[in-house]
Amino acid sequence: MREYFKRWVTIRERPGWLEGANASILCIALVLAVWYVLTAGEHAEDRIIDPITLPSVGDTLEKFPDLWFDRAVARSAAWSLGRVLGGFTLAAAIGVPLGVLAASFLRLGAFLKPISIFGRNIPIAALIPLTLMWFGLGETQKVMFIFLASVAFVFFDSSGAVQGVPNSYLDAAYTLGAKYSARKGLIGAAWVGLTYAAVLTLAYYFLSRAPGPNDVELRASWIRWFWGMGFFGFALGFALWFPILAFQPIRKVLLPLALPDIVNSLRLLFGLAFGYIMLAEVINAEYGLGAIINLSQRQGPREHIYLSLILIALLAFAIDRGIIALQRRLFPYRQVGEH
Amino acid sequence: MAAAVETNACSITDAPKAPAKPGAPPIVEFKAVTKKFGVGTSREVTAIKDVTFTVEDLENVGEFVAILGPSGCGKSTILRLIAGHAPQFPATSGEVLYHGQPVIAPGPDRGMVFQDYACFDNRTVIDNVAFGLECRGVPKRERTEAALEWVRKVRLDPARDAYKYPHQLSGGMRQRVAIARTLILKPQVILMDEPFGALDPATRHNMQDLLVELWREVQATVFFVTHDVAESVYLGDRVYILSNAPGTILHQFHVLAPDRPARQMMREKPFQDTVFRIRDILDALEEGKD
Repeated sequence: MREYFKRWVTIRERPGWLEGANASILCIALVLAVWYVLTAGEHAEDRIIDPITLPSVGDTLEKFPDLWFDRAVARSAAWSLGRVLGGFTLAAAIGVPLGVLAASFLRLGAFLKPISIFGRNIPIAALIPLTLMWFGLGETQKVMFIFLASVAFVFFDSSGAVQGVPNSYLDAAYTLGAKYSARKGLIGAAWVGLTYAAVLTLAYYFLSRAPGPNDVELRASWIRWFWGMGFFGFALGFALWFPILAFQPIRKVLLPLALPDIVNSLRLLFGLAFGYIMLAEVINAEYGLGAIINLSQRQGPREHIYLSLILIALLAFAIDRGIIALQRRLFPYRQVGEH
Repeated sequence: MAAAVETNACSITDAPKAPAKPGAPPIVEFKAVTKKFGVGTSREVTAIKDVTFTVEDLENVGEFVAILGPSGCGKSTILRLIAGHAPQFPATSGEVLYHGQPVIAPGPDRGMVFQDYACFDNRTVIDNVAFGLECRGVPKRERTEAALEWVRKVRLDPARDAYKYPHQLSGGMRQRVAIARTLILKPQVILMDEPFGALDPATRHNMQDLLVELWREVQATVFFVTHDVAESVYLGDRVYILSNAPGTILHQFHVLAPDRPARQMMREKPFQDTVFRIRDILDALEEGKD
């Protein structure tokens, strides 16, 4: 016992897997115990905290089938995840290559710096009214909200990851003959451009057919917009990726060496974006975890709020673990930090 | 300041080891090269000053030039000027000529080996070694074969090590990868910036012998920066000693070529006399520094 407590106060003493898991379980048990004590008692008068402010553990768990079946929480989670995935994919598709370019061509970096600073310091909540004004009440607004909230951070972190690659790698690449090859750049960038075009047009197609108030479909020029999205996507993908793919020092050295850090930052930012989506879903969303929380607050049962929060945390944890597992497979030469 | 070629040192050869290619320009020539950093600011620093030397393109052999000097005297600056690496390149004044032409950019004809190895972490040993060929557009099968050959030549085990990543290798093994990756491109000049500085003494001797062996095979001119006097006398055909910063070439020795293993040759009397002599010069320089 004495030994055990001594380990708790030893600096940087790493616990084994089981011991670490036990400590985490202890924390959960403690929170549940406090919750239980605060809400114990048959009647409201017997409790330390009344049931309106904080329902008891038992009451909360009892409402789970209700949340699962009547409120269809799984479907809402899928909607929330879909929105985040859409906006975040867009942010990564633009922020990552732009960040790589900004860290490779430092004049471009200086040029983009004001936008990056502005984008990272804008209050996220202020984007809600703005995106409502720009993109209406539908799904486009939610996707664009996530995009605008995260793109500057994705850009900044990607740029930082590339800047972190020591110069000696670049020097080595030059003395080994790494050069500019327009042909490779053209072929590669054309493929990336086509991919961007396909993804953007598909996204536009789905967004314009999504349920809910739909300003996109009201446009008479739907088909013109559809093709416009295609051309825009191609131009965007081509312009962003041509320099990366044409310069061997970037394609073969800077990008691959920075990639583990870029993916790691994407994982952390995705977690943040998943939290932000609740903000947008409070307004005019039929489905979504944010919508469920909002609805439960207004119409009850309030237990659903707590259950939703727990589910969100579990979901975010699962996604995080999934990406970590992916990182380990993709980058066997790089350790991913445990948190 | 003209560098004095000392010909009365112990264990010296007074003549170059082979005749220069007739009519060919020197492989590397510095003409009064000066490099200043932060010109026009209050932090202006002169890294090297009026460095002048000529290394001839010898028939069928390359010369091995070891560069010694007190710390911070601009040894690396000379290498990086030959390689064409910023920010040392371009020189503030003077001319850096390679085959009689001014150096304009880095290229695979002037390979460089760094102290921190700079092996690409994301590539296996074989992909690291094949990097230069990959940049040239050599087809995969061909470059893998060539890389395996070089993995063997630097005495790594192709079966065991070829598909390892750099983080699974020791420092000495990583430097072997870096050397293989440079030599596979058959450079005419090899620039080595304290390549064995971070290795333990035993590994160091092995690497020195390996380097001598490979250098004979590729017949390149080598510029080798080091802090280790014994290493420079063992490996070098010629040893340059730089002055305190701003560096300029103070002495130039011709020393005997390494014809026996390092452990053996370094024990011999003439060898040690030369080492002590050079060490005395360096100690005097270090003392005069501040």
